[in-house]
Amino acid sequence: MKVLGLDTSHYLNSVGIIEGERLLAGVTSSARSDSLVKIIANIDFAVKRAGLTLAQIDGFGVGLGPGSWTGIRVGVTVGKMLAYATGKPICGVSTLEALAREAFNANTLICSIIGGGTKDMIYAALYRQLNGAVKQEGDYYVGSPSGLAHLIKENVVIVGQEADFYAEYIKSLNIPDIKITEIKTIPQGSTIASLAQARLERGDKDNALALTPLYLKESAARIYQEVK
Amino acid sequence: MLVLGIETSCDETAAALVEDGRTILSSVIATQMDLLKKYGGVVPEVAARRHTELIGYVIEEALNKAGKSKEDIDAVAVTAKQGLIGCLLVGTAAAKTMSYALNVPLIGIHHIEGHIFANKLSNPDLPYPHVCLTVSGGHTMILYVAENCHYELMGTTVDDAAGEAFDKVAKFLGLGFPGGPVIDKAAQTGNIKAYKFPRPLIYAKNYDFSFSGLKTSVINTFKEQVANHEALPLPDIAASFQEAVVDVLVAKTIKAALERGVKALSVTGGVSANRRLRANFQTAAERNGLKVFFPSLSLCTDNGAMVAAAGYSRLMRGERSTLELDVIPSTPLEMTRGQD
Ligand SMILES: [Zn+2]
Repeated sequence: MKVLGLDTSHYLNSVGIIEGERLLAGVTSSARSDSLVKIIANIDFAVKRAGLTLAQIDGFGVGLGPGSWTGIRVGVTVGKMLAYATGKPICGVSTLEALAREAFNANTLICSIIGGGTKDMIYAALYRQLNGAVKQEGDYYVGSPSGLAHLIKENVVIVGQEADFYAEYIKSLNIPDIKITEIKTIPQGSTIASLAQARLERGDKDNALALTPLYLKESAARIYQEVK
Repeated sequence: MLVLGIETSCDETAAALVEDGRTILSSVIATQMDLLKKYGGVVPEVAARRHTELIGYVIEEALNKAGKSKEDIDAVAVTAKQGLIGCLLVGTAAAKTMSYALNVPLIGIHHIEGHIFANKLSNPDLPYPHVCLTVSGGHTMILYVAENCHYELMGTTVDDAAGEAFDKVAKFLGLGFPGGPVIDKAAQTGNIKAYKFPRPLIYAKNYDFSFSGLKTSVINTFKEQVANHEALPLPDIAASFQEAVVDVLVAKTIKAALERGVKALSVTGGVSANRRLRANFQTAAERNGLKVFFPSLSLCTDNGAMVAAAGYSRLMRGERSTLELDVIPSTPLEMTRGQD
């Protein structure tokens, strides 16, 4: 099964095509203020690089965020319309889960972090490895980095684009006897594809036209402020 | 040629299928009116979220209503210029994806050009050259239109758009949102001569507009009453205010048409649905030997059909957008002069 995954939750867009465990093609480029300009060109580049046509893709995966609101809306819209226009299935994937997947070998707690646009606001979630996959522990976290640090009471690997920064920060709080390591990476289209593939192979899929970004609860407060 | 037109520049999620820039096979508009009433106006973030939820359904519904399948689409047109950036992004992302996946041409359209084409869709016999007044909540312009896609800007607003003045006065009077329809309704039983509001720039030599002073004049006249929660003669205020706006729009457009020696007028955009505006234009046009054209009411507000029609015209001129098409929230309508 050939699956194309895309993620635009950062000021980057990443596209990957996989077949089983094999990466057929991948491309990541930076996006100016949003992901609109390059996203289709990147998809087309990856499809051609894989030696395929769009019609030969069996299914799609799209990162639902959290992250940059406009960025994710571009990715989710592109994903849903790709699935609609080609008639192929699609699965929406939490971008935090995709990050955690990058640390799936870790025998410790995994903490994925995505910046929320300001220094004091982050999106995060905790995961643990389970049978080669990662399983989320508890709810999504939306708040300050220090609030997150209080939730970490054991050895942890921090994953994300600014993993080094947050790892240093948590270390600086002098939480006793905890080993903190980091994996500095961005959400990869190929990881989104692989998480989608696992669901698609089980015959599971999302309603393409109904797909909507994962805004998380923080958004309601911010929108309310904007309205006021 | 079957063109899919997509419009998400403000608060309507819209898609339409138009054959040869002329025949509307379907036009679907999901309005966010419930949200607008709740918040008393457009909240960009809220509107962009709603567009993302609705865009796919609206496109599918447009195909279903037209009895067409995705494979029948020959080209995709989308509003990519002028509007709220977060809103434009959603429609443009959808349009680019459809164009890529279906392997058909893509064309990005300026929102105001869409409104101009709404009138051509309603009135295939609209002659060229003509003078066009396009007026909505976002813009107020007089254009000399030599032929399809050839515009010369004669005048524009220096402050508020006419529709914006309607919105602000309606809000001040507690009449609700959007201002155009609620003032039109309230004015039905009012006396147009009850209050004498200014007609800004009506005698100016150029064709520019200014509605900010008129709005302020209405607000200043009734500020105290509103602060004291006194009952206001709403129909009279609405009718007198509306008459002032309409007088200016009609006088300047007719003057522009006479100066350029055209025989026809096109009045388009959201405010062109206003009943008093239509009636007064009709009378003034007849008196001056001009013929005036209005879009059908369903094509006055934002819709996908006007975008498809404008797109068809641009495609016929050999224009194409690449898949790197970007959105531009604020940019003037490109003026191309006809043969001088
Ligand atoms: Zn408009």
